Amino acid sequence: MGCGVSKSNQFHKHSRKAAVLIQRWYRQYVARTEMRRRYTWHIFQSIEYSGEQAQIKVRSYCFSMRSVCYAVFSHQTELENRVYLAGNLISHIFRENDVCWDTEWERYFCYKNIEVPEVYSGPHLTFPLTVEQAVGLLEAFRNKKQLHSRYVLELLLETWKLLRLLPNINRISTCQSKEVTICGDLHGQLEDLLLIFYKNGTPSLEKPYLFNGDFVDRGKDSIEILLILFSFMLVYPCDVYLNRGNHEDHIINLRYGFTKEVLTKYKIHGKRILKLLQKIFSWLPLASVIDQKVLVLHGGISDSTDLGVLAKANRHNVRNTHARILSKSTDSVSSDTTKDEWRQILDVLWSDPMNQDGCMPNEVRGGGCYWGPDITEDFLNRNNMQLIIRSHECKQEGYEFCHNRKVLTLFSASNYYDVGSNRGAYVKLGPDLVPYVIQYQASSMTRELTARQSVGRTERSALKVLREQLFAHKSDLLCAFKKFDSKNTGLVSLNDWASAVESVMHLNLPWRTLRCQLVACKTADGTIDYCDWFNELHIDQSLLETLYRHRSTLETIFRIVDTDNSGFISMEDFRQTWKLLSVYLKMEITDEDICNLAVTIDSNQDGSIDIDEFMEAFRLTDKKSRLERGRSMFMGTASDLTKLEDDPSV
Amino acid sequence: MAPKKDPKAPAKKAEPAPAPAAAPAPAPAPAPAAAPAVDLSSVKGGDILFSLHTTDYREAFGLFDRVGDNKVAYNQIADIMRALGQNPTNKEVNKLLGNPSAEDMAQKRVEFEAFLPMLQTIINSPNKAGFEDYVEGLRVFDKEGNGTVMGAELRIVLSTLGEKMTEAEIDALMTGQEDENGCVNYEAFVKHIMSV
Repeated sequence: MGCGVSKSNQFHKHSRKAAVLIQRWYRQYVARTEMRRRYTWHIFQSIEYSGEQAQIKVRSYCFSMRSVCYAVFSHQTELENRVYLAGNLISHIFRENDVCWDTEWERYFCYKNIEVPEVYSGPHLTFPLTVEQAVGLLEAFRNKKQLHSRYVLELLLETWKLLRLLPNINRISTCQSKEVTICGDLHGQLEDLLLIFYKNGTPSLEKPYLFNGDFVDRGKDSIEILLILFSFMLVYPCDVYLNRGNHEDHIINLRYGFTKEVLTKYKIHGKRILKLLQKIFSWLPLASVIDQKVLVLHGGISDSTDLGVLAKANRHNVRNTHARILSKSTDSVSSDTTKDEWRQILDVLWSDPMNQDGCMPNEVRGGGCYWGPDITEDFLNRNNMQLIIRSHECKQEGYEFCHNRKVLTLFSASNYYDVGSNRGAYVKLGPDLVPYVIQYQASSMTRELTARQSVGRTERSALKVLREQLFAHKSDLLCAFKKFDSKNTGLVSLNDWASAVESVMHLNLPWRTLRCQLVACKTADGTIDYCDWFNELHIDQSLLETLYRHRSTLETIFRIVDTDNSGFISMEDFRQTWKLLSVYLKMEITDEDICNLAVTIDSNQDGSIDIDEFMEAFRLTDKKSRLERGRSMFMGTASDLTKLEDDPSV
Repeated sequence: MAPKKDPKAPAKKAEPAPAPAAAPAPAPAPAPAAAPAVDLSSVKGGDILFSLHTTDYREAFGLFDRVGDNKVAYNQIADIMRALGQNPTNKEVNKLLGNPSAEDMAQKRVEFEAFLPMLQTIINSPNKAGFEDYVEGLRVFDKEGNGTVMGAELRIVLSTLGEKMTEAEIDALMTGQEDENGCVNYEAFVKHIMSV
């Protein structure tokens, strides 16, 4: 038989076999990369949402403290003393001096006395604003200039005046063949906004824009983004529309970076700017409707969403969108905003779509709902509409359809979790109301990375964050492990390890898949020595561990306590904050611990503590341990470490 | 999406008892449309090693479920198997699924219990390739016997023979592999592709 097989046949057979081998291998490589990408995504998203949840808990805790404090007025036990003191502190913080008339506020925000020095090289604004000035502002920010606080206040005042005239629901029309460009979350990422304007053109009479909330927090240029959006809105009030997002809320800003950004960039007038922004945020419209057929809002809907109710609500009374959880008082919301209106606004700003029918509370976020395809169908039919466009969730491709393509999620902050993590997108909607999506990804770094490098980088980043979280929960994890290890062998099976970790972390992550990335030590029979594992992750004293875990919460509380936004809190306030935290954490932090800590922090011993210095201490600890763990044996001084702060590769 | 599967997903961590009890007979009713050409009922779950990893497999399976119904589409099966370290050809997987039509591939879904025996079959199949096999396979194209193959030729082969790859896939694969003469050192190439 062999003589019948020619040489070329033989060659062909081998070629085919070789081809199949390589193709099979390649497809395996792609599938495994995809799986890594997916769980990396899960990690970032779970941690982000659980952070939001923690934020809500802090706030609801603060409110419950206040009601408790009223109840224990007459008791004198140590614990209740602490609670009472804490409650006092909180009352002081949350008191709203809203009784001032707006004209008084206008005087408070007056910019006229602010001098602009000769050396100022940024843009000068004159009002009413012209399009040349708006474009000039764009250019200035592109060139890393900062707008002087005088002009900031003036611009914000004009914006406030305009917003007060707007309805709760913008009505937009695509008449005369105008296409509306809709953008999702920007989160302070100026590069993305500049990219959108570059690709699509700046707003104009022929080019209307709608921005769907979450302009600030997390990114480093939130104030610049706001100033650009507001300036174009002032120039083209009928062609630039803004919807409020859940991050247009000053309590959220305390945690997620916007407050800090403003105070850092505007050291003298920052607090005034923030106060004015508080008002502006509350006056932002809640939603927009295009051609009466397409609803655009930031979060989503619920089974009780009623556009009529939303249109009539006093939206500016809802300053903090979570203020009423657990609180029986109505301090943050005026009494003429009903509970129903308030809840509907919450739904609009916080809800997420889900795949199952029905509607249930959004426990992950702590506000709004999860709503199903049946709710969408019902809502669109009732309101005679055809599409809901929303944002609020980061999507790998920058956008995602769901609910039979009746709901479109749009996200415009590319590389949100890390370089290469996701693209951004914007939508163009013409009179045919068919959404046309354009994607992009900012940062030249991304283009140079291969897919594999990009996934690898993001994955390393995610795992680092995850390890930090695990390390910070060491005590709880130890307890959980001991429950599975009744014989005290110090070992747990892989199954038990995964169950214990999930029971503590509540992140719903694929722990077994991640195990080989998280646990290096493993005994021969596949069990895990959990004490060894903690050594791997890094150990520290329990107080420091607690501080580290709660550093975001700490910072939030500090900034709340710092009522005049000076960046400093007194020793006494510092001590009170610790007492509050110890009750919250159900953990003994002795007065001695507090004193020792305070002494270390108050380096110039002047009786007040610089919040930034305190948090910086954490950043340095974090950076140092990162460096030691992986990249290099860096033996520099503290100031050298600070220099690395801006190094994007660290 | 991670948070939303919580209310629906039943506790998935229960480990199946080892050996025979874990024989995952394919779910009777939901066996979709055409009976699979391969008789999966004969697949024994008797492999202890296999059943120990079932929970791992279940986790990975869950990662690919984009809908939330605890199932995955036919056209995802091959990828999930690959993500789990197997290396089936598309043809092998199609055979397991009963050679479904293109429409079935996109529409039909299968749950984890039906997926397991398919995975077991692939794991048991003898078609494992190692470093030497790949190098052998590429040596076929080494006309001059000097350890290199022409990148261009490789590209043509990959796009026309076997289970054809698209141009984009080939580009991604070959990035950085060809030297200035357009040649690929295939031993290095194989080391590269195996180093994931």
